[in-house]
Amino acid sequence: MNYALLAATALGAIGLYLMLPRGKATLARLGLLLGGMALVGLFLYLLRTVAEQHLVEVGGPPIYFYLFGLIMIGGAVGVVTQPKPVYAALYFVLITLAGAGMFVLLLAEFMAIVLVIIYAGAILVTYVFVIMLASQGQGKVEAAEYDRRASEPFFATLAAFLLIGAVLQALFPVGGKVIAEENLGGHDRLMALNLGVIEGVSGGAGGGSGGVTGVKEGPATMPKGREASVLNPPSGIQVVGVNLYSKYALSLELAGILLTIALVGAVVIARKGEGAHVLGSGELPTE
Amino acid sequence: MTQIELYHYLVVGAILFGIGMVGFMTRRNLIMMFLSTEIMFQGVALNLVAFSRFHMNPSGQSFVVFLLSIAAAEAALALGLVVLLFRKRETLNADAWSEMQG
Repeated sequence: MNYALLAATALGAIGLYLMLPRGKATLARLGLLLGGMALVGLFLYLLRTVAEQHLVEVGGPPIYFYLFGLIMIGGAVGVVTQPKPVYAALYFVLITLAGAGMFVLLLAEFMAIVLVIIYAGAILVTYVFVIMLASQGQGKVEAAEYDRRASEPFFATLAAFLLIGAVLQALFPVGGKVIAEENLGGHDRLMALNLGVIEGVSGGAGGGSGGVTGVKEGPATMPKGREASVLNPPSGIQVVGVNLYSKYALSLELAGILLTIALVGAVVIARKGEGAHVLGSGELPTE
Repeated sequence: MTQIELYHYLVVGAILFGIGMVGFMTRRNLIMMFLSTEIMFQGVALNLVAFSRFHMNPSGQSFVVFLLSIAAAEAALALGLVVLLFRKRETLNADAWSEMQG
């Protein structure tokens, strides 16, 4: 058992439990304090246990990871604990943008752009539309009663505590080697070559862009066989596109069919059939 | 400074998933429940991209494309249903539909 991590997880769970909306006067500030302490402790633990090996630094300076991780987790806590749905949706936009930043750190620029366009641009707009459409009591400023009181906060946080605790114990066995750590140096380098990003891109604080995608010529460090790809390096989008349309072509077609079916289904659900009064009176549409 | 490894991203993804789970179980607003599932989607997407990056396998990013299409389909259908249910009962409280058991 890794008791330090367990304590951090328990602290975070208690903080989240205290921050969940309650009908009466709450200890939300204390919960925020505890949750923040847990998060900072966890990040410090992550910093401490990192092996001191000098790998190719492809992912940009680590401060960006901690920044984006803090924003993502803080935004998620905001979504879960915010009584008003509109503000919760805005917190979710924060999560999406920080997630896009994470993807850029992971050399998945295409995924970052797609995340911003689809999530922040399409899905979140749909959510905000529905929140506006289904908000009741036009003059009311207060959140609805069912939004101001969480149901079963204790058991929910307990379940999440058990889940995250188990995951962290599996990731960081005490006295053992971290599972994910094996031989990442070679992987790092191979991935960098694979994506056309040659090492030496982000030397410390160099590069205002976080040192992510800049392709530099580094022929001295390249193996001989890769020179063609140095002249014409495949970008991340290209690699993903080839993978998507060769290995997962059928799945891609199925995803398209699924989207079409969902489109038709949404139209059928929202359709005002013969006599708009049918839907207005609350009857389900009958075919 | 030290290096960011795969398990850093896994930790953040797991925490996002857990928080989304808490939100799904505790919120009683239908819209907020679906928003919490979107948080869980984000955690999973982060895990997929991190695995793709550190195992130098682009399949992870391909699966994020599928995840996004599933999320879009889910949002369209679920929110249409939410609007329909709201018109029927004039409330977004999930407890108002508690007779739908079985």
